[in-house]
Amino acid sequence: MENSASLSCDGRTIVIIGSSTGGPRTLETIFLRFPLVDAAIVIVQHMPHHINSALCRHLAKTSRMEARVAEDGDPVEHGTIYVAPSDIHLKLVGNRTISLFDDEKVQYVRPSIDVAMTSLKRSGSDRIVGVILSGMGSDGAQGIRHIKTIGGATIAQDLRTCAIHAMPRAAFETGNVDQMLPPEGIRERIIQIAGTL
Amino acid sequence: MAEVPCRRIMVVDDDVFILEVMKELFEPEGIGVVTAESGDACIRELEKGFRGVILMDIMMPQKDGWETIEEMIDRGLMEGNIVAMLTAKDVPDGELDYLKEHVIDYITKPFEANEIIAIVKGYLDYLA
Repeated sequence: MENSASLSCDGRTIVIIGSSTGGPRTLETIFLRFPLVDAAIVIVQHMPHHINSALCRHLAKTSRMEARVAEDGDPVEHGTIYVAPSDIHLKLVGNRTISLFDDEKVQYVRPSIDVAMTSLKRSGSDRIVGVILSGMGSDGAQGIRHIKTIGGATIAQDLRTCAIHAMPRAAFETGNVDQMLPPEGIRERIIQIAGTL
Repeated sequence: MAEVPCRRIMVVDDDVFILEVMKELFEPEGIGVVTAESGDACIRELEKGFRGVILMDIMMPQKDGWETIEEMIDRGLMEGNIVAMLTAKDVPDGELDYLKEHVIDYITKPFEANEIIAIVKGYLDYLA
């Protein structure tokens, strides 16, 4: 699948949010009454598998976006939130198609935020946004560095608003974070970049 | 196992005062509170069938909160539960990262009553 995929000519905004312990609270604030935006949003949340669908239901209920657990082969569509399922890695092929694949855990986790973010490709027409929220460890730091390298916008949660600040701090320490924002600021920035539908 | 509807929490803490405070906070909200004064007591409640949101203290004698979670994983008792750590202790960098997939939140003491009620209700909605 990966070899046959190519970057599309029509530009798209793709937002990848990496989140771990304490992140669901932040997600709730970001997506409360969140409008329908012209972006595909992929959430990689470290969590037990039995709450994957519950998180989606919650996001769909509180925002105007469609929300679903990502499935292998899903095309990324604007106006939709894709939640990475537990126990399997997620990547984007050609910035357009979700691929789920089994592999070793990376930094103790699967799905890995780094794996998802580093699968994104530079594209003249796509706008890429990487966001790191509260969490233990440093998953996402490498991904943020990659997104910056390919010309994307990078955001980390303001440390004072995190239940656990290790993950956004690790991202910040790469020197590749554009903005450190509280949840409300992250919400506004995503809306500003993506634009509403 | 299917997701189990519930409006129950379990508070795991060796501090009896905290257990009482939590009952006073949550029961008027219509949320049942099971209390466990140790990690072993928590495991026993899970083996009896408790499913819901678990607020787990870290610093406990004999078996601390992290060791209790490890035992829950080993015994297959995580299914249907959401675990949040409830503690005044900072998260140690690095050494416990392997448990992060299993811990949804980290609530620090002292906490505001309204804040913890809102957080727990949010997680109970996940299990509804």
